[in-house]
Amino acid sequence: MTGSLARYAKNPAALLGLVLLLAVIAMALLAPILFPKDPLSLAGRPLQWPDLGGRFPLGTDNSGRDIAAQIFHGAQVSLLIGLVATTISIAIGIVVGALAGFYGGWIDDALMRVTEAFQTLPNFLLLLVLVAVFGSDITTVTVAIGLVSWPATARLTRAEFLTLRNREFVQACRVLGMGDLRIIFREILPNALPPVIVYASVVMAIAILLESALAFLSLSDPNIASWGNLIGAGRNVLRVQWYVSAIPGVAILLTVLAVSLVGQGLNDALNPRLRRNPKP
Amino acid sequence: MIINRREAIRIAGALALGSAAGSPAFAQSGTPKRGGTLTVQLSGEQRVLNPAIRASTGVYIVTSKIMEPLVDLDASGVPAAVLATSWTSAPDGKTHTFKLREGVTWHDGKPFTSADVQYTAMEMWKKYLNYGTQLQQYLEAVETPDATTAVFKYSRPMPQNLLLRALCDLGYIAPRHVFEGTNILDNPANTAPIGTGPFKFVQYERGQFIIADRNPNYWRKDFPYLDRIVWRFIIDKAAAAAALETGQTQLSTYNALSLADLDRLKTDARFTVTSKGLEANAFNNTLEFNTRRKELSDVRVRQAIAQAIDVPFFIENFIYGQGKPATGPIPSVSTAFYTEAPPPYKLDVKKANALLDEAGYKRGAGGTRFTLKLVPIQNGEDVPLLATFIQQSLSQVGIKVDILNLDSAGALATVYRDWNFDLATGWHQYRGDPAVSTTVWYRSGSPKGAPWTNQYGWKNDAVDKMIDDAAAELDPVKRKALYAEWVKAVNADIPVWMMIERTFQTAISKKVQGALNMPRWGSGDWHDTWIES
Repeated sequence: MTGSLARYAKNPAALLGLVLLLAVIAMALLAPILFPKDPLSLAGRPLQWPDLGGRFPLGTDNSGRDIAAQIFHGAQVSLLIGLVATTISIAIGIVVGALAGFYGGWIDDALMRVTEAFQTLPNFLLLLVLVAVFGSDITTVTVAIGLVSWPATARLTRAEFLTLRNREFVQACRVLGMGDLRIIFREILPNALPPVIVYASVVMAIAILLESALAFLSLSDPNIASWGNLIGAGRNVLRVQWYVSAIPGVAILLTVLAVSLVGQGLNDALNPRLRRNPKP
Repeated sequence: MIINRREAIRIAGALALGSAAGSPAFAQSGTPKRGGTLTVQLSGEQRVLNPAIRASTGVYIVTSKIMEPLVDLDASGVPAAVLATSWTSAPDGKTHTFKLREGVTWHDGKPFTSADVQYTAMEMWKKYLNYGTQLQQYLEAVETPDATTAVFKYSRPMPQNLLLRALCDLGYIAPRHVFEGTNILDNPANTAPIGTGPFKFVQYERGQFIIADRNPNYWRKDFPYLDRIVWRFIIDKAAAAAALETGQTQLSTYNALSLADLDRLKTDARFTVTSKGLEANAFNNTLEFNTRRKELSDVRVRQAIAQAIDVPFFIENFIYGQGKPATGPIPSVSTAFYTEAPPPYKLDVKKANALLDEAGYKRGAGGTRFTLKLVPIQNGEDVPLLATFIQQSLSQVGIKVDILNLDSAGALATVYRDWNFDLATGWHQYRGDPAVSTTVWYRSGSPKGAPWTNQYGWKNDAVDKMIDDAAAELDPVKRKALYAEWVKAVNADIPVWMMIERTFQTAISKKVQGALNMPRWGSGDWHDTWIES
């Protein structure tokens, strides 16, 4: 493990990602201290341009809300949605993939057909349907994002299980009389996990983007300060007050970039042989 | 970056100058030129293209060029002859006789006769047309002594001025021979209209475009000037503004562009941005109270809410000054019915707090008195902005507001059919006479599910009586007085608060001539519209 850490520390892109991610986390933690007021409350005249030295360093949006406050509070929302949705999606994916890969046969067939059924639907369309049916409060949106983004994880886990299930150590476990669940979760899963962890970072980035896309269409929860809501609101004034959409856009870009770089770094650190640019 | 910012500052400066100088008057000049295609942006899909069963600006903007009403407004806003050439009314107000135009043919070649009027009035206006069902509820029969005479018989007095003004919107005639014996709502002519108007329907491609071509047999000799009208569906407002600026479209009306773009285009010499030509379509931003909710059944709470919201601030800062505080459900542009008055409520946070305390809703933990669910009924971008502003304003007096975002159909069903709301905000559209589409917002007894009617569980017998009396009052002076009294009553009890009085804005290329020349031009027939080369 120390070897992995050292490899991660030597990777400048991964370090940059980590720094950015820590910055976003710091923003989320500092939000209630720096901006104790409700970020959705009326702060001043709408559409004031960003003024770094003034009362509104990032300006106000077309509802007179402080953009800086929304960016900081929005970091909380984005991270929360990212983490919870990713956890849901990875949990479903691992269970489905592990069962399918381990048992094979009709269980595999059944589970993979279901997975493929999900994959044939573009996940954003499915998300729109779920939100239209169950409403758009933040819990529903988060769970819905988790529910639409598990198929890839399931397939990845299944592939890992397929390669691992007939290895000697698994056969040894069988001979020792271990139960299936113990073999799956205690023996095979830890070995199958590294690529899944790396993929989790992709899921997290997608989850943040999906919420923003929903908010852009005014279908996310309007009662919270999310970056996507801000972009959606700014769309109407894009031609003149472009900063209303651009600032949260940059925030989303940097956060997704950070998560992706960290994921890539983890990938290189955990699977050194798969590294894209092996150094001599 | 720097250029963008500089340019933005320049535009901002130009805007300030523009608004100070006032918008230039729309100039009409030159000899009309024949030919050409006018391309119009539509901001939403139309499922029905039959104005005899669906009253909506989105329907009129297309079909009023293809089908025609009995009467329409002239340049000064007075109902003038179209398919009807003259009309007389009996002194008791129960019989109205229309003489119809001779020599008019439908686009399929059949002659237009009084039978068409009789059929449309009895089978469509009275049975299906929104607002029409209310307006024509006492219409008993339409008699047709000959092919060019239609006699409307009412069981209660119908004021002539109400009937004529209403028929400009609710008086479109459909061809009897196409609809008779079919299921009216499923008839294909509802999406491929056949009319008597200056343009003939050609094609409707869902989500893409609608095309209508010049009708060479139009009864106004030598009209129309245009060869073709194309309506293009461009739902994204930024794309719509780009299409107008690049010349792909020449016209965006009924606020089809974003408020910011309308404000920006005001200073562009190629376009006119104005509310002229749409004066007849005044509308209000509303706040509707579900009085089934215990807190909102108390008039003090409703009045407190009205005094917690700074409407002038919202108008000035959120919607680019496009509107003014409303003084009641009758807008000031409706000179025949409007009585001068100040807005009934203005910002007074102290009084709002006092009223809420008095009503027994003290601030609880975190300073909150109670929580209300607000459903924005999507109509323009100002609706979500106002929803946010209401949320922000009411938090100042300890009322927490949760906004429930739904699509347009979902919001209409939630508010008007399921009554599953505490507050709702949307638009009230005024159509020339309070009895057309305004008093239904207050009259009790609307069928459940009828959108834009009183579905707030509010009933006031005195108000109901005033509405019924005014609708049957034949003397215009007495009618106006009755409505003034009615406005006072509903302002005091506010089951729905008409917050802001607005007029629609049109952005139109200056090449388009013969335009904006009557108060419902967006819904007019455009027979005299032409394009400068």
